[in-house]
Amino acid sequence: MSIFPQKNKKIENWRYLVLFILIGTIFGFYVLRLFDIQIIQGEDFIAQANDNRTQVIYEPAIRGTIYDRNGYILAQNVPSYNVVVTPGYLPADEGNIQEIFRELSALIDMPVSQGDTDDETVRNFTPCYNDLGISEIVYIATTNWPFQSTALKCDVSQDVAMVVMENSEEWPGIDVEISSVRHYPTGELTSEIIGFLGPIPAVLEDYYVDQGFVANRDKVGYAGVEQSLNDVLAGRNGMEVVEVNVAGEIVRTLEEPIEPVPGNDVVLTIDSRLQSIAREALISELEYWNNFSGRTISNNGVVIAMKPKTGEILALVSYPNIENNRMERIIPGYYYEQLSNDPQRPLFNHAISAEHPPGSVYKMAVALGVLNEGVVTPEYEIEDPGTITVIQRFYENDPGVPRQFVCWDRNGHGMVNFLEGVAYSCNIYWHKVAGGFGDEVPDGGLGPWLMSEYAQALGYGTVTGIELPGEENGLVPNPTWKRLTLGENWATGDTYTAAIGQGFVLATPLQVLNSISTIANGGKLMDVTLVNQVVDQEGEIVQKLTPSVRWDITKDPVINMYDGNVETSETKSVEPWVIELANQGMRMVVTEGTASSYETDRHADLFRNDSSRSAGKTGTAEYCDNVAQEQGLCVPEAWPSHAWYVGYAPWDDAEIAVVAFVYNGKEGATLSAPIVRQVIDAYFELKLIDSSAEP
Amino acid sequence: MKQSRNIWQNFDFWLFSAVLILSILGIALIRSSIAGNIELIDHAQRQTTFLGISLVVLFVVAAVDYKYWTTLIQPMYLVTMGFLLFVRTAEARFGSARWLEVGEILIQPAELAKIVIILTLANFFANQNHRFLKLSSILKSAVLVGGLLIWIYLQPNLSTSIVILVIWAAFLWITGIRMRYILIAIGLVLFVLVIGALTEFSFLEVYQKDRITNFLFPDPDARYGETYNVDQALITIGTGGWFGQGYNQSTQVQLRFLKVRHTDFIFSVLAAEFGFVGTLVVLFLMVVVIVRCFRISQNASDTFGSLIAYGFGILIFFQSIVNIGVNLNVLPVTGLTLPFVSYGGSSLLSLMLGIGLLESVAMRSEKRTK
Repeated sequence: MSIFPQKNKKIENWRYLVLFILIGTIFGFYVLRLFDIQIIQGEDFIAQANDNRTQVIYEPAIRGTIYDRNGYILAQNVPSYNVVVTPGYLPADEGNIQEIFRELSALIDMPVSQGDTDDETVRNFTPCYNDLGISEIVYIATTNWPFQSTALKCDVSQDVAMVVMENSEEWPGIDVEISSVRHYPTGELTSEIIGFLGPIPAVLEDYYVDQGFVANRDKVGYAGVEQSLNDVLAGRNGMEVVEVNVAGEIVRTLEEPIEPVPGNDVVLTIDSRLQSIAREALISELEYWNNFSGRTISNNGVVIAMKPKTGEILALVSYPNIENNRMERIIPGYYYEQLSNDPQRPLFNHAISAEHPPGSVYKMAVALGVLNEGVVTPEYEIEDPGTITVIQRFYENDPGVPRQFVCWDRNGHGMVNFLEGVAYSCNIYWHKVAGGFGDEVPDGGLGPWLMSEYAQALGYGTVTGIELPGEENGLVPNPTWKRLTLGENWATGDTYTAAIGQGFVLATPLQVLNSISTIANGGKLMDVTLVNQVVDQEGEIVQKLTPSVRWDITKDPVINMYDGNVETSETKSVEPWVIELANQGMRMVVTEGTASSYETDRHADLFRNDSSRSAGKTGTAEYCDNVAQEQGLCVPEAWPSHAWYVGYAPWDDAEIAVVAFVYNGKEGATLSAPIVRQVIDAYFELKLIDSSAEP
Repeated sequence: MKQSRNIWQNFDFWLFSAVLILSILGIALIRSSIAGNIELIDHAQRQTTFLGISLVVLFVVAAVDYKYWTTLIQPMYLVTMGFLLFVRTAEARFGSARWLEVGEILIQPAELAKIVIILTLANFFANQNHRFLKLSSILKSAVLVGGLLIWIYLQPNLSTSIVILVIWAAFLWITGIRMRYILIAIGLVLFVLVIGALTEFSFLEVYQKDRITNFLFPDPDARYGETYNVDQALITIGTGGWFGQGYNQSTQVQLRFLKVRHTDFIFSVLAAEFGFVGTLVVLFLMVVVIVRCFRISQNASDTFGSLIAYGFGILIFFQSIVNIGVNLNVLPVTGLTLPFVSYGGSSLLSLMLGIGLLESVAMRSEKRTK
């Protein structure tokens, strides 16, 4: 049967049995394992598989344009052409690829290769901001996302973009991507209002991602109305759920795509012509006085113009500010650092965020209180000897220490009535009526409680609500505040200093303007606004400016009455004749008071021959902040001071109110009043031009 | 003629049918695995061709009495060693020189080596007549194994080396190794592990160490690489549920998230597209094949035949459990394919040659295997 010898060795069956048991055990275990993976954990793995294959594409929404009140563009989107590569679509032949790279390299002026790449360069790769060659970028893109486009060169000229597009047949995988970049044609003229954009900050990433923004791509407002009106301007990204393969190539659309909703356009109340005039007036005034005194007096100031009747802001200058057109594409690190380290704080909106003592402008709040409460009659004359001595008491039976108060005019103004007190800004008059003085003003005058009530009625101590980020609310002090924050009783002298807007009182330039604007507007405190209209992409007006009155102090009972230090339930409003007299007083400031003339040749007339029939109030606010202290300027009796002036015109039917503030600007009449006059005059000139232009 | 008809009556149809079903299913799964990859586009076609050739080989080998192979063992051993030496000097492919190009066809000498080792050991142990293996026999067999193993290990090809070692150990087991030697062997393995730990496994290639490290201590953040492949395999299997997503319908496969899906991870493709039920069927067929091998071994008419059948049984058993174990993430990635199912011409051909030998043994046994 067989030519081979049969060798039969008995193989023990138990050794097979062990193997059969092994087979059974292992396959049994695998069946259990499969049951676990496929049936028990199946849902989880299906979810993971769906996660693998689905990708959500957010199509960017177009951001709204920002216009000024005359339709002049302040912020817009401009196309930016990027040359991009999609490695997956490059030709298969390495030689062809190199040829494309060579031709492209010459066109876009970018080396084909820039040497080797290491892990570090790959990890730090940022499209548009690298100095890699074409090959390196293609290598990085191939490894990470072969079917997504990656920018080779950003912001090429339209001509180069056209050439690339024409060559798209010969250069598969190379394309032009048009992205939109925010452009600020007016740059630093309006940067404190407009602000700028930046990448979504890490801390707010969740918030923005929930709203459909894409981190590391979409930008959000970092300052100005770009920030405060981000929701209005940004629109909403479109969304498309697609199926992708492992290379990131889109296979098909899974859900009905949601089209992007473009952002709305915003028309601001700003008149950029007036803004420009206000800015120029401020800068030239600063330059003049810096030259005149041969040293830098100030490089910091604010001008704001508004319409008292509507609360519309016409111009808002915070100087120095930033060049927001340098931040269109990215925020350059060195520039941002330079801005951050600038002692004048250009990133800070001085108009709404800087809190300074308002100085004599604050007297107008006291003025309303004094007449409304009947502390004195308008005709009642108070003596200003130039210097008075008051016994400073911290509590009722405090023997006290004498403290001297002086008028800015050491010779005194003699006998002063209400209107003269306003016109000449007579400190002694306001000290006495606010804090009481012997038999002349008995019963402690207006007192700190009511003084703070009248100040708050004019908007001091609360934000105005302007559509800008970072507004501060200032400080209206009262005895309770002092006890809580300083742990000290209110002293007689505190009332005296607060009466002239010194001491603890702080206000932003916008609050100072708004307080005078309220008086000019017959007692109506308006909600300040920057937004004239919001218009959607179809041209429909979504939101239109409707002037809103926060309160009318002649009608609304906004003054709380006090019994000693205790607030009572009694409230009152301000008599209209009181406001009328306050207006007359401020008119006198211009006609014969502190703003009527000045001794230097420059602006000798100041407000004399003022065709606009304006009124106003000067302020010279002594201060001693850390900057002044470092420079050794805080000398008692000769403290440094900020220059304030608030003017409005015409005085009896105001249509414009302007504040000028110059940090360390000495006298309000000298530095700030001329700026206000220029802006007011320009306003009426522009009005004339506009009315003649219209048929 | 009478004799010949008797022989074919003992042909094991259970084994043959299971193997044929697995191979055809394999081709179907390979077709699904192409998933638009241009490099894989002709693989189903090629595997079909190989299956055709393999079936011819199977029947030819089955028809020939396996005892004739004893005369061929020594020359085959030397030729295989020659091939292995040749590929060492040949161009390196896929990081390790495993392929031998013969005309258009790539042949892996390592696959050939598995067959040769089985035949060599079957022949060697069939001639040992003691109830228990003598130490000298064990050492002699070790030399036989080592003569081929060393070149495979140096390729480097850790997985085939392990397969050969397992086959050798399995032969020692079945031919009557004493328990005390097993204990000594376990002691030796522990010793090697200790030495290895002290020398930081410098005798392993970096990628080999990485695979083991990745398995033992997976990096939870890894997006690509070994861990990625295994994770994707697990996800792919998990999507199968009871009945699978359907042929050509698994997103994990068709969108190519699953890598090396036509070879190492073809079991995951099966699990995803045919579900738990599909995997049960394949596991059942695998068990049928393995059990039939051992039954043929038990019923063989002589020790040589018995050991041939046993050797191939071990080969198929070991490769299947390791491959499936890798797919199920209970074993580290090895690169071993799933017998009959995974793509691979050399592998299919050598496995079918083995089945041919098994049938040859079955046909010539005295009693019909039940």
